[in-house]
Amino acid sequence: MDVSILLFYGLATIIVFFALAVVISDNPIYSALYLAITMVTLAFVYFLLKAFFIAGVQLIVYAGAVMVLFVMVMMMFDLKKEKNSFSKGKFANFIKVGSAGWLCGLIFASIMLSKGMLPLANTNTPQAVADTSTKELAILLYTDYIFAFELLGLLLLLIAVGAVAVSRIKGGTHE
Amino acid sequence: MGADLFEVSVNLVKMIIIFVMMVQLVPLLVWVERRGSAFIQNRLGPNRVGPLGLTQLLADAVKFIFKEEFVPEKTKRFLFYAAPVVSLVPAAIAFGAIPLSLPINIEQFEMFGSTFGPYRFAFQSFEVGIGIVFVLGISSLGAYSMLMAGWSSNNKYSLLGALRSCAQMISYELALGLSIVGILLLYGTFDFATMIDAQQGPLTFMLLGKEVSVPFLPNWGIFYQPLGAILFFTAVFAETNRTPFDLPEAEAELVAGYHTEYSGLKMNMFYIGEYGHMMAASALMAVFYFGGYDIPFLSPDSVRETFLGWGLSANKAAIATAFLFHVSMFAKILFFLWVFIWVRWTIPRFRYDQLMDLGWKTMLPWALANTIITAIVIYIMRTNWS
Amino acid sequence: MNSLVPIIALTIFVLLFGAGLLFLVSLVGPKPKNSSAKNSTYECGIDVQTTGHSKISVRYYLTAILFILFDIEIIFMYPWALAYGDFIKEGHGLYILGAMGVFLLIFIIGLIWEIKSKALEWD
Repeated sequence: MDVSILLFYGLATIIVFFALAVVISDNPIYSALYLAITMVTLAFVYFLLKAFFIAGVQLIVYAGAVMVLFVMVMMMFDLKKEKNSFSKGKFANFIKVGSAGWLCGLIFASIMLSKGMLPLANTNTPQAVADTSTKELAILLYTDYIFAFELLGLLLLLIAVGAVAVSRIKGGTHE
Repeated sequence: MGADLFEVSVNLVKMIIIFVMMVQLVPLLVWVERRGSAFIQNRLGPNRVGPLGLTQLLADAVKFIFKEEFVPEKTKRFLFYAAPVVSLVPAAIAFGAIPLSLPINIEQFEMFGSTFGPYRFAFQSFEVGIGIVFVLGISSLGAYSMLMAGWSSNNKYSLLGALRSCAQMISYELALGLSIVGILLLYGTFDFATMIDAQQGPLTFMLLGKEVSVPFLPNWGIFYQPLGAILFFTAVFAETNRTPFDLPEAEAELVAGYHTEYSGLKMNMFYIGEYGHMMAASALMAVFYFGGYDIPFLSPDSVRETFLGWGLSANKAAIATAFLFHVSMFAKILFFLWVFIWVRWTIPRFRYDQLMDLGWKTMLPWALANTIITAIVIYIMRTNWS
Repeated sequence: MNSLVPIIALTIFVLLFGAGLLFLVSLVGPKPKNSSAKNSTYECGIDVQTTGHSKISVRYYLTAILFILFDIEIIFMYPWALAYGDFIKEGHGLYILGAMGVFLLIFIIGLIWEIKSKALEWD
């Protein structure tokens, strides 16, 4: 068997295992740490697909920034009451069963939908950009998708304003 | 990893040697730090055990090994043990991705009655095409071991120290990331080896579309990016949690930061991680701004010719050349490591709000200005105006 | 794939090295004698007042989320910086400078707004 196939199945097993651990673990901090492992392993999968820049971005943004924020915020709170209110009671059970059903539906639907989709992918779709080098990505990003790129800058500015506004709200469960 | 057993085993051994080299450099650096700080402060430092106090390192190692295994109550045991082990990984991988010398090209040779085909061994643990982005991404994972250590200790000083050092690390990562954009604009590549190749020879640049050469200066990045180099080196100090940015260890308010509850070898491992980070940072500084393994006015080809002229075989000449240039790279790394130590014992620690102000309100705008100025200057210089 | 195998190999090796070292060292040291005073976490020599998990300033959250936003903006500069030389060579230098100029302008407005709104103040 080819080494890359073997590697892919190894990495995929790790991803699925830790993704399940995220959901099953009842301590939110452990969940966040498992999610961080999932993110790093996903970066390795991008590596395997020769999407090197995306792999680097996955490491810097998701593993190095977003998950650090998650872990930090989890550690900032003393989650005891919240843990109970989210893990016990009729409402929580309803949400659990509902989301499990939803997940099964999503898996089923994605298997059904991707069955016909896989052979259709060709080199002209944006997904194929990952195969070409970062320079080609840059040329596409700054010519064809320039408008979306500038809009993204504006969106990030809006998020910054929103985050500052949210942090100033007084009250709530945390006094 | 390689086509046949010989290549695979050489690559594996090389990888482990580079890692062990990193780990072995730590006690030596600790000795240099203690002796150096002593001389800076007009003391003698450790000088009793062995010549120049050198066997003090061994005594320290033995002491660390025979420490009692102690875990305070109500800790999260698994995370408590995992944190120091995890802290080794980012430094080791980041250091492994940086080329420490020229790649060695081995021609076909015979051994044990069978021929081994031509090989090319890179003088690093592994080659990644996106060098800079990869190293930046891997070293940003260093925050996890701190957070894990701080939270699992069940001590408020540990947690506060971890949160502080984490907030500090991510704040300075912005200035770090932005100061590298200037380097990318200059060389147009993510790859370290290509970047070092571009820094060979005398200082040569484009002036309004014409090539200008200054024969008495090496073609190093520091001459193009002086502000970027200063910003990068400052940000790296904050990334590695060294004084003047070692807020996690502000004894008066936080005891010892995120490793308050650690002792013995577990504590030592955090130090190996920290010094490993310093080594990776010094190597990056050398690659970006000081020509990597380049020796000014000495091209690798001429060195190889000289070795061949001495009667060495082609393979031996290639190996000797690589090791000569490795000495140059290593000297640069050691110089920057000394600067790390020198600064630690010269400049006092910042207050926390001053530190965050420096990161967000001073270094980030300056890094931004550096990027914009570099882009405009490169545009003016490289465009063919005629 | 060529570079992925050594990366994973080195990661596993370093983890095993660290864990193995901790395990071996735990065999040789003296066995701990437990007492409640020794086992409690450090609190300047007095009884533990509050446990490690207390509520902490929202500033850390704000710093982290602003870091993510700026980090994403900086990441978008990397491919731009990489392709910059090629664009100049083809004579599109002014276009690519302007494209990033607009983005950088939004970046700078954001940074100035955050400094003015005192979101980055630590008291």
